[in-house]
Amino acid sequence: MSRVAHNSTSSPAAATENIYLPKLAVLDRVTDDIPEVRTFYWHFEDATEQAKFKRFRPGQFAQVSLFGIGEFPASLPPSPTEEETFFTIRQVGSCTAALHQLKPGEKFAVRGPYGNGFSMEDYYGKNLVFVAGGIGLIPLRSCIVYALKHRDKYQRIQIFYGSKTPRELMYLPNLREWQQSAGVECYLTVDRSSDSWSGNVGVVGSLFKKPGVQVPVDNTMAFVCGPPIMFRFVIKDLLAMGFREGNIVSTLERYMKCGVGKCGHCCIGVAYVCVDGPVFTYEQIRKLGEDI
Amino acid sequence: MKARILERADVPKIVEMLRQQGYEVFAPFAGRGRDTWFDLVTDENRDRIQVHLPNPYYPPKRFVLPHIERLMKIRRSNGEIQIEPTYRERKRAIFGIRSCDVAGIWHLDRFYLGRDFRDLYYEKRRKNLFLVNVVCTDAERDIGEECFCLCADTGPAARDQFDLQVMDLGDEYMVVAGTPAGEEFFANPMFRKATEAQVEKRRAILSEVRKHFKTTTSWFPATVRYVSQGNILEKTWEEIGNRCLECGGCTYVCPACTCFTVSDRQVGPNEIERVRIWDACALSGFTRMAGGHNPRRAVHDRRNRRFFRKLAHYFIQRELSMACVGCGRCAAVCHGDIGMPSVVEMIRRATAANDKLQPV
Repeated sequence: MSRVAHNSTSSPAAATENIYLPKLAVLDRVTDDIPEVRTFYWHFEDATEQAKFKRFRPGQFAQVSLFGIGEFPASLPPSPTEEETFFTIRQVGSCTAALHQLKPGEKFAVRGPYGNGFSMEDYYGKNLVFVAGGIGLIPLRSCIVYALKHRDKYQRIQIFYGSKTPRELMYLPNLREWQQSAGVECYLTVDRSSDSWSGNVGVVGSLFKKPGVQVPVDNTMAFVCGPPIMFRFVIKDLLAMGFREGNIVSTLERYMKCGVGKCGHCCIGVAYVCVDGPVFTYEQIRKLGEDI
Repeated sequence: MKARILERADVPKIVEMLRQQGYEVFAPFAGRGRDTWFDLVTDENRDRIQVHLPNPYYPPKRFVLPHIERLMKIRRSNGEIQIEPTYRERKRAIFGIRSCDVAGIWHLDRFYLGRDFRDLYYEKRRKNLFLVNVVCTDAERDIGEECFCLCADTGPAARDQFDLQVMDLGDEYMVVAGTPAGEEFFANPMFRKATEAQVEKRRAILSEVRKHFKTTTSWFPATVRYVSQGNILEKTWEEIGNRCLECGGCTYVCPACTCFTVSDRQVGPNEIERVRIWDACALSGFTRMAGGHNPRRAVHDRRNRRFFRKLAHYFIQRELSMACVGCGRCAAVCHGDIGMPSVVEMIRRATAANDKLQPV
């Protein structure tokens, strides 16, 4: 299958490289995002590893090791243009729980980056429409920051983001910044309002029909990331607006053990999500023939 | 390839030569009834090695991909953490590996050593592995009810990928060298030059053996086409899924299955091992993510997966070999009779019947 992005950063491993060997990393600090979700700033113990890792592309992922517990795949929310490396992780299983227990200064291990990532260079000259739901903003944050850093390379940039409640809006400082920025149209919504919320109430798709909102369809790439139900409805809306299936991209989440196309857990249809993805166009996702 | 003739009584000497060269040699042994296994050859058991016997259900895949394999040790001391990969590089030989299993290892080679990422653990084991293939010639003892290597085009005689190939010609054995390492054995004078008549005899025996395969067949070409075109009805997958007990047995005995899971285990107060363990797409936890979401919920989705992965043209091209070698083990162990030959037949029949309703 044709890959969405070139696989430049997950370059073929050198013949003697052990693809399963994680490299030691140090946790620098932890910030609370929303309930059960925290951001973990870290760096590799070895500066060479850090420099190598920093060549990642938006949309790629890494395997995070908690000794004695296991390894899990995690999106990379930072843009490669940013200084710091960090993960934003929801506490959901045993590995993520162990990470949430970790104190600054303590060690864990990381390997990667893996996967194809978004080919942001191929989208130069296009409009970018980001549609995210809940923690689906984590992988898209990387693209948004990257695109804003290279603002002159793109036409219009729109962000549509929704969460269940105002308390569950991710990356609040970034959202405020994007809302105030002249170069980006950022629209927020929540499923259930609270007293302090004066914004839109409704699903993400309801933002498309708000007065004053005009989504460009021609020459546009739409990035969609969020829970399966949100994904289905947003796709329906975008297709109805006239988006072509090949111009909608998303990243898939799967159970993974290796991240390098060997363990078999993430294999769907004719693709190994870890090496052929995790970024796919909607056209490809539909042909893979499995639930999101 | 060079062919030599070996006296029947001298065949065990191949095992001894390997042992003298420092190989740990594994060979097939037989117990009661159908029970057969590969075991380490020792001075004590070497006289009981069998050349003609039913192929062991537990495939020799474990010599390149052990069912539990330590990948690394992680040690903590004085606040420091050390990650140390652990490799196994001992020279090993398998005497008596069947042609289907040779094809299985070849398939694993393409999978683990091909494409962008090479598996170093696999590579180190494979590099040190010497294969002595035995051709199945005994219709009674070698060829089982479920064997269908003829359909998978992997047997009864492997064409390559072995170091030495041994074949029973009746009075004596013919030995073929597939690699320079295998050819070195021919320096020993017990290997005599083969005559034209003996080569002809080999050919005659092989064509005769082909007639002794039982009724098990596998209509691979038609089914590969149906699977690749996505022409299989959901109903057919459901019928297959209904018969799956989700025991994972088919993947456990499969010489070409590649999936594994990874697990950390505490082995000392300050020491952890990271191991990989064979995993099976038949098991419901195979795709279940943290938090409980499982994109492959129904049993038939999981069965569909196994056969799609093995039969889709895309993957056959990707590895340049099919992930089924026709050994028949899945057919032998499956409680629901949905081993590869049955599934291929179910798909072929259902899809062919469906085809008639839609004239091309």
